[in-house]
Amino acid sequence: MSKIFGVALGILAAIGGFVDIGDLVFNISAGATFGYQLMWVLPIGVIGIIVYSEMCGRVAAVSKKAVFDTVRERVGFSAGLGALIASEVVNLMTLAAELGGVAISLQLLCGLPYRWLLVLAVLGFAIVIWVMSFEWIERVFGYGGLCLLVFAVAAMKLSPDWGKLGNGFVPHVAQNNSLLYLYFVVGLLGAAMTPYEVYFYSSGGVEEEWTPKDIGLNRANAIIGYGLGGFFSVALMTTGAALFLGHGISPEHLGTIALGAQVPLGTIGLLLALVGILFAVGGASIDTVFSGAYNLAQFCGWEWGRYRTNANAPRFTLTWIVLLVLGMGIVMTGVDAVVLTEYAVIFSVVALPLTYIPILLVANDEQYMGRHRNGRLANVLGGVYLVVIMVVALSAIPLMILTNVGQN
Amino acid sequence: MTQIDIALKVLDHQILDRDGRRCGNVDDLEIEGGPGETARVTAILVGPGVWPQRAGWIGRIASFVGGGRRVRVPWGEVREVESHVILRKSAEELGLGRGDDRLRPWIEKIPGAHR
Repeated sequence: MSKIFGVALGILAAIGGFVDIGDLVFNISAGATFGYQLMWVLPIGVIGIIVYSEMCGRVAAVSKKAVFDTVRERVGFSAGLGALIASEVVNLMTLAAELGGVAISLQLLCGLPYRWLLVLAVLGFAIVIWVMSFEWIERVFGYGGLCLLVFAVAAMKLSPDWGKLGNGFVPHVAQNNSLLYLYFVVGLLGAAMTPYEVYFYSSGGVEEEWTPKDIGLNRANAIIGYGLGGFFSVALMTTGAALFLGHGISPEHLGTIALGAQVPLGTIGLLLALVGILFAVGGASIDTVFSGAYNLAQFCGWEWGRYRTNANAPRFTLTWIVLLVLGMGIVMTGVDAVVLTEYAVIFSVVALPLTYIPILLVANDEQYMGRHRNGRLANVLGGVYLVVIMVVALSAIPLMILTNVGQN
Repeated sequence: MTQIDIALKVLDHQILDRDGRRCGNVDDLEIEGGPGETARVTAILVGPGVWPQRAGWIGRIASFVGGGRRVRVPWGEVREVESHVILRKSAEELGLGRGDDRLRPWIEKIPGAHR
């Protein structure tokens, strides 16, 4: 019984970790711009994050090491330091984007001024992290994020063209506007495989004190949790396609995304969508803030983790507080959350190889992993995805420049 | 296992004290023995003070930001080398984890610090 419970909780956490502001923005926009044509990218992204999360979860269970421990061990000090700086910059951008999303959804819910709500939200998160255990943080935001299921109902009610939707899963390149199409391919992959997801997932395994006995649990969490996350993505893209395509609407505001549920389902749809967005993006804020603190602490060898008390991991605690304040500061400048999201996703794509290569190396290390090291399937998939990630990482910035950040 | 193998297994790894507390990474190794002699690891070196010799200018900047402290732990204090490097004594006795120890009283001033 407790095992089923454990799987259920892990799945929730995985959904919470998967659907964030990047997924919301890129999926709805992809649907609004290209209809169902980009559906095929979603399974590719989801399988990629499953493969690498499973791997780093297994490494955490067997060796008690999280991603940035392995980064430093495997690529050495100076390349590791470079990876650390890159990951912290990208993480902070992502955090700011998520915090902006939280403030917008709060504003749409209650109408108070944006900056006040931002401060309140950041204070709220700080208190939540300070008093709640790791498991409870995951549960609360995971359950709340389930409200996003409203987009699945909305997608059904909008009676999508099932034939076109099915055809969208067949990989192809668009005839017209192919640069923008490729930009969306990169963005959707980046949103699905955001690096903070594996930082958080692996450190979470250590937080929950996984042992080799939990390897089955890890696999179930990764496959079912991220699989369901992928289902949410399909629903979002379908909503975008069925509602916005051909109307010249590009969802440049989070409110437009919530409209996707309001049009077919009325006020209750809108409320559920906003609450779902609030919890999903709020959960992602906490995930990114933790990821930034995990990475720095692991690189420097400091004590870390919420499973220690706040006072027993002092520099870790200080780091997440500072990151929350910095993230808030960025949003306070008035930068647009959706624009920031696009930059965060594209830059995180560039940082992906530095994160994934050490995971693949350590998961293959017989001395650490013993009989739990990668099997053939994990290695073939891991290798294929490494190539995909390299191609995507190299093309991300040129595509961003050529399409003017997806504006044409 | 040869000395070189040990060095590779130890460098950049997490250090735990005898109570399992994380107290730094192995930032560098002190190795004795000239050309033609058998090389021997005599100590592990820990702390931002070691970083400049690892990563040039960027290491110097990181070292400056990190406070530049450096601690030498004699190899005899290492009890075990597994996926972590485990020490015989507590972090405090060896002068490790000082940053955490100095910050802790400030964190403890906030209610609920031990939750």
